Amino acid sequence: MKEIEDFLTGRIWLKEFTPFPKNEIDEAIAQGLIACIPGISEKQECSRCLEKSAHLISFYCEKCEGDCLYCRHCLKMGRISSCTELITWAAPSPRPLKTRSFQWSGRLTPSQNLASQQVIESIQNNRSHLIYAVCGAGKTEVLFAPIYEALKKGDRICIAAPRTDVVLELSPRIRAVFPEAVVHTLYGGSRDEPGFAEIVIATTHQLYRFQNAFDLMVVDEADAFPYSMDPALKRAVMKAKKPEAPVVYVSATPSARLLKETPGRSEIFRRYHGQPLPVPRFDSLWNYNKQLKKKTIPKKLETWVRLRISRQEPFLLFFPTIDLIDQNIPLFKELDVGIEAVHSKDPNRKEKVMALRQGKIPGLLTSTILERGITIPKVQVAVIGAEEEIFDAAALIQISGRTGRAADFPTGDIVFFHNGITREMDRAKKTIIAYNRKTIS
Amino acid sequence: MQASWRSLFMNDLNEAVCTKCKAEFESITGNACLYCGALEDGVCRDCLYWEQTEYAGLITKGQCLYRYNAAMQTYFHQYKFLQDVILSEVFAKEVQHALAKVEAVIVPIPMNPKKLKERTFAQVDAMLESARLPYKHLLTKNEDVQGKKTKTERMASTPLFQWNGEAVPKKVILVDDLYTTGTTMRHAAKVLKAAGAEEIELFCLIRG
Repeated sequence: MKEIEDFLTGRIWLKEFTPFPKNEIDEAIAQGLIACIPGISEKQECSRCLEKSAHLISFYCEKCEGDCLYCRHCLKMGRISSCTELITWAAPSPRPLKTRSFQWSGRLTPSQNLASQQVIESIQNNRSHLIYAVCGAGKTEVLFAPIYEALKKGDRICIAAPRTDVVLELSPRIRAVFPEAVVHTLYGGSRDEPGFAEIVIATTHQLYRFQNAFDLMVVDEADAFPYSMDPALKRAVMKAKKPEAPVVYVSATPSARLLKETPGRSEIFRRYHGQPLPVPRFDSLWNYNKQLKKKTIPKKLETWVRLRISRQEPFLLFFPTIDLIDQNIPLFKELDVGIEAVHSKDPNRKEKVMALRQGKIPGLLTSTILERGITIPKVQVAVIGAEEEIFDAAALIQISGRTGRAADFPTGDIVFFHNGITREMDRAKKTIIAYNRKTIS
Repeated sequence: MQASWRSLFMNDLNEAVCTKCKAEFESITGNACLYCGALEDGVCRDCLYWEQTEYAGLITKGQCLYRYNAAMQTYFHQYKFLQDVILSEVFAKEVQHALAKVEAVIVPIPMNPKKLKERTFAQVDAMLESARLPYKHLLTKNEDVQGKKTKTERMASTPLFQWNGEAVPKKVILVDDLYTTGTTMRHAAKVLKAAGAEEIELFCLIRG
């Protein structure tokens, strides 16, 4: 029963698909320890993802022998319909306080330290807080002290991020700093881990499966797709935490709305190594699409890539579409057969990024999937078709933020190859210059 | 799905998925097995086997619309196992086009009642309903899980269906979602033949 309690506390789970024997679940329900919730509520809303109307489909159900609604929005987590039930642990689940340790030998810069203290203060006042810090500022380290304070109080903490890549990057760092804490890492396809998780590191999608669970909620990369675009994911964050629990948002490129709506704020415009952010330069690549269609790499781009290869500098080439990557990877392989391509649907993405980091391959063609969360020492970056709509100012700032992250190599080329300069390109460049100015003052 | 004047009056069906996604499905065109529509000239290996058994001559001809490629596997998984009922509309137009002018009575391969309750919908019936095609159930399915058996076990298994006692027309066309070894179809055809059907065709959305 202890295992069931650990698993179901703060969770909302499809009754038919728990990892426990059916009779044990039924017994706990009979004893009133587990509560059952109808899959689709009286308000005609999915009880797991809180989706209403548009994604709820009505059909004749052979189980209900009548009309039934099912939710398409969270279908891939197992279908929720009028005739399914969700369960959650309903009895009190007290957790004894434990002594805590915090293992980190690094030092915060003065601005990181200030931000860290400001976050702690906001949490004490149950106030939401935004950490607005440039790429490479050391945002994760800022969170260590606030998480430690929360752990000491016996709080349950969630660190959510929109993308699996970011979750996988965060998880080993948090585990290393809090070795005694039970940490679970959740994303599509992750394995079940035993015990009651005091710290949950999860994709925002996984939060559909939590309810009223967390005393502290951190949303990392709070402006990233799909979280930024999907109201259901925002609802999931709010549902997963306890009603009074504060949210700490972390972003290098916060939206105007996030800036306006979050009461507490810390700003860090200096990288942890103190060097300014590399400023992007613009270079025209007129009618690059036509040339690529004729199976030739535009001269300027070819020269740029050849220079990287001869200097043995790892490079990233950002393309606006997966189609363009697929069409052109053979051309780049003619320059160097080791050049690879990655995009969101590539199952070997992690391995290819690792190979680039280890110097086993010279460079990668990529979609915007690698715009954040990755650090490759000495990396040089080019955007091809920077005028395309997908490259908004936030994306371009994030992409630029891949360069110069390592203290040993704080510079790097970041070039926007374009077929006409857009406002977003201008905004990205001006913003980066402004960050660097604030650093000096 | 949105109804237009044309769709209301002409019985036309709209496209449920975008052209790009639809292009990932691979239709079976040109030379195909006479009985099952596999991509082989004349008669495929599986059907050659069947034509040497007690099931020989039961099926007069057959057609499958698509190959079981990666896109189709994803579709099929979401439709049948994730129970995304509305996906019955995806191939409505194609199924309607293939079967609307057929003279034979459409007979869907049924599900076992217990299984049907579990799945909450009959995927073959739903596909036919989305294509606005009339059908008639003539068979009941015995309790048996086909999917978990090996190929030989499946080809030699005990009767899968029974006749439900309703009048059997002379010409029938058996309809299923996925054709793998042909066991389901041969078993169904045998029962219908014994119950009085004279000409039996088969139709499947996918040839595995």
